[in-house]
Amino acid sequence: MHGTDLQIAICGSAGDGTIAAGDILKRTMALMGYKVIAFDLYPAEIRGFGKCIARVRVSSEQAYSLKHHSDVLVSLHDGHAIPHVGEVRDFGAVIFDDAPIARVAEGGHMSAHVRPAQIPYGASLRAISEQASGNARGRNIAALGYLAGLYDIPPEAFQQTIMRKFAGKPEAVTEANMQAFDAGYDVGAGVFKLDDVTMEPPSYQAEGARAVMMTGNGATVRGLLDAGIECFFGYPITPATSIMERLAQEMPLRGARLLQTEDEISAIAATIGAGYAGARAATATSGPGLALMAEMLGLGVMAEVPSVIVVSQRGGPSTGMPTKTEQSDLNMAVFGASGDAQRIVLAPTNVEGCYRCAGKAFELAERHQTPVIVLLDLYLSNRYETVIPPKTNPFAPKPFEGPSVGGGPFRRFAETPTNVSPRALPGQAGGVHTITGLEHNELGRPSDLPEMHAAMSRKRHEKLIAATEHPGLTVAKRFGDEGPVPVGILGWGSTFGEILEAMFAAQAEGLPCTAMKVVMLSPLPLEHIEAFFADCTHVLVPELNYEGQFAQLICGATGKPVTRLTRATGTPMQVEDILSEVRRLAATGQPSEGETDERGLEASLS
Amino acid sequence: MGEPSRYAIIGSGSAGFGAARTIRERDPEARISLVTISSLPFYNRYDLPKLFLGVEDWRDLLAVPTEVFDMLDIQLRRASRVVEVDGRNLTIQFAHNEVMGFDRLLVCSGGGGYLPAALSDYRHLLHDFGSFEQAVVTRKAVPKGGTVIMLGGDMIGLDLAFTLVDTGHKVILVTNDHTFWPHQIAPEERGELLDALTATGIEIIDGRRPTAIEDIGGRLPRRMVFSDGTTASGNVIMAFCGQQPSVEFLLSAGIDIERGILVNTQLQSSNDAIWAAGDVCQIWSDAGKGYKFYHGWKNVRIMGEIAARNMTGAEEAFDDPDPLAIRVEDGRIWSSFWEH
Ligand SMILES: Cc1cc2nc3c(=O)[nH]c(=O)nc-3n(C[C@H](O)[C@H](O)[C@H](O)COP(=O)(O)OP(=O)(O)OC[C@H]3O[C@@H](n4cnc5c(N)ncnc54)[C@H](O)[C@@H]3O)c2cc1C
Repeated sequence: MHGTDLQIAICGSAGDGTIAAGDILKRTMALMGYKVIAFDLYPAEIRGFGKCIARVRVSSEQAYSLKHHSDVLVSLHDGHAIPHVGEVRDFGAVIFDDAPIARVAEGGHMSAHVRPAQIPYGASLRAISEQASGNARGRNIAALGYLAGLYDIPPEAFQQTIMRKFAGKPEAVTEANMQAFDAGYDVGAGVFKLDDVTMEPPSYQAEGARAVMMTGNGATVRGLLDAGIECFFGYPITPATSIMERLAQEMPLRGARLLQTEDEISAIAATIGAGYAGARAATATSGPGLALMAEMLGLGVMAEVPSVIVVSQRGGPSTGMPTKTEQSDLNMAVFGASGDAQRIVLAPTNVEGCYRCAGKAFELAERHQTPVIVLLDLYLSNRYETVIPPKTNPFAPKPFEGPSVGGGPFRRFAETPTNVSPRALPGQAGGVHTITGLEHNELGRPSDLPEMHAAMSRKRHEKLIAATEHPGLTVAKRFGDEGPVPVGILGWGSTFGEILEAMFAAQAEGLPCTAMKVVMLSPLPLEHIEAFFADCTHVLVPELNYEGQFAQLICGATGKPVTRLTRATGTPMQVEDILSEVRRLAATGQPSEGETDERGLEASLS
Repeated sequence: MGEPSRYAIIGSGSAGFGAARTIRERDPEARISLVTISSLPFYNRYDLPKLFLGVEDWRDLLAVPTEVFDMLDIQLRRASRVVEVDGRNLTIQFAHNEVMGFDRLLVCSGGGGYLPAALSDYRHLLHDFGSFEQAVVTRKAVPKGGTVIMLGGDMIGLDLAFTLVDTGHKVILVTNDHTFWPHQIAPEERGELLDALTATGIEIIDGRRPTAIEDIGGRLPRRMVFSDGTTASGNVIMAFCGQQPSVEFLLSAGIDIERGILVNTQLQSSNDAIWAAGDVCQIWSDAGKGYKFYHGWKNVRIMGEIAARNMTGAEEAFDDPDPLAIRVEDGRIWSSFWEH
């Protein structure tokens, strides 16, 4: 990558202002015109416990994932930051407080752990803040000032972000933070820089002015709003909660309705009810919530009701690891419900994709009369990227719905060439029909005749096939080398950023490589996938779950072998892990033991 | 098997690093902590004049690759200033509020540049050259063809002075009692040595006493004022008047200190658990019947190694080495101090 490519990690304890400092940093960098990807890790508990890390990658050119190695680590709490020293690259920097107020246990100070090839910078962060603002709470902001001074980043952009950040607070709070920043800046600017971290001034592009920082959840909200969401029903659950919080602020302003229900079952029931009544309706949850929603999801499939369910995955099963990322709800999203309950599942791979998928989900739900799941994960939900919002709303308005007025009773589930039946909203003249969770005939009346169940099952499946050609929606996309290559990487969801970075790195090493993201997980865009397989000697499937759920899905659909690269650590995939597997496959054609899951990796169906 | 011994070494220069490596050779299980105020790993300070020859990156000055510390399992604690040593409880107190225990301590804290008391009020107007950071700042303050005023002119300073002259700078040397330190120059030899300096292109101001230093701005912003009212101006003024041992953090350690730490020939201090080596120590000399400093890179390194061997069970003496030699050869000054 040319120009700046710098990753800064800030690590502290909950309550140290770690995430706030990271937030100011990434917003400032975006404001200055850099591309930013940022991801925060924080504990499930509230203030006073646990480790928080904010990682911000700042680059001149578009980056697709966080880097394995940070260039700078800022410690606001040595106890938590010391285990992360190893992530700082050689000749990168470690900044820490060299005048802590409390006695440090032997070996508990950062200076004892900085690697010989890293550069230690001790700064009296607490004292700087206290002297400047009369308050040690601005230690995190003093650290930002120090960082800006050390790397010669113009302070104005930081000051602007700090003003905005504390805009709603009493003036004294803003002033104290500004003072802490300025004092930190002066100290940092006076420090002799010994590391080899460099920042080049950002190159403003025409579009730069419109760039905004958004999380995956934020972009999802924007997508739902731009698509004209009318009803939202939800129950809070990490990492999906912020979707409901943001919508709760925005929807009333647009005359739309949001209700926090008593649980997830009610949330989806209400969503399906609203969808049945003709509203653009959605809910959002995480894995445990989706488990509760499974029965109602089946109703949505059986009754052919448009509805949107956003699912942000976290470490599981059960309560699992609420604040850690994982891609282990794929099976549940694609298959989870009783019976043959096929539905549409979209898995965006980046923040911009969250926007598109959320908005397009309504179109798909309506066109194919089915629940649509938008499958995110914590890493995508919470990570920030700079995105350029579209100039015009890309989403189709809700189509006019009405029963075809003909003779006889309204055949809500009539067979049609597209397998999509006419739909009537409650109360529409000529549209009276029966609707239940029971298998039914074309009128919606209960029927368990063998030929009826076979026909309706076929119809419910086949009506979805056309979804893979939905206009304006990327269902799969190939990157990198064209034509036959030794190794292709097939991926989905948030992991695709690391996949792209690994692919670029492999190409830079002279290894021909290609990568494909699959956004529509159900129904699978098989044509794209099979063309990809046809070009690749080996197909590597990296994903964040133990079994390789996507690999299984792909093997089942194509009958082709893949090499799995699975990780169930609660943390994002590492580019280096993918790259070393690509290298190995390219060199020997053999997956490594230990690098992939332990059950022998060639998941051939034979 | 008991607990591994904890060795603490204050100072990661030539003496300290050599000692750490020697301890590791002799005690594979030992826990070794090498403590330094510096933010850099061990580099050759005698190479700092190379900054005027175009070297910019501190990595080009490293005495050993950074991986060596891991290979030898030596914990390198940089940016860590020791503020107190407790010789009774065998602990070190850091400025960052941490206390570290040790079984055996080696002090190799070296020395800082000495400044005559008469000029101490003007310290802020002087440039330093004792560390990489200081040397970079000084180099930046001296433009191409710029002028450096050097007070004293010990052997460290003279080495720099030659590089400056060789690279087209002007050097004005204001001599005093510390000129040629650590050599002790007989009055009859002095003239020949000064002549050799002049022949090299160094301008000598001899026999004038500086009384003040001024910041006058402009092209040559530093001005030295002499007692006779004359002045000399340059881009920077640096003092090279020998070294002063760094012992301020040892004042309550309960060990004997004169100017440096007093140690016996085995480099052990008056506390059985504390040794000292390098520029910081004064070693008992049986021959001289007194405590002496032994400067020079080779002496310093050997001291570190001997101290380390004695800390790990040996009983070796640091024998009086050959005295440092200085002479004029082919019109240029040669000194054994510069032999590495
Ligand atoms: C520019 C320059 C050129 C030189 N050229 C020569 C030469 O040509 N020949 C020669 O023989 N000598 C030369 N010297 C001198 C030589 O560098 C010293 O004699 C030698 O470095 C002394 O080594 P040492 O290990 O005793 O201490 P030093 O190398 O001075 O190391 C002292 C160490 O102690 C640490 N320390 C001090 N106080 C504390 C504290 N309170 N807490 C923690 N750590 C502390 C310091 O951070 C440092 O790591 C030169 C010096 C300079 C600056």
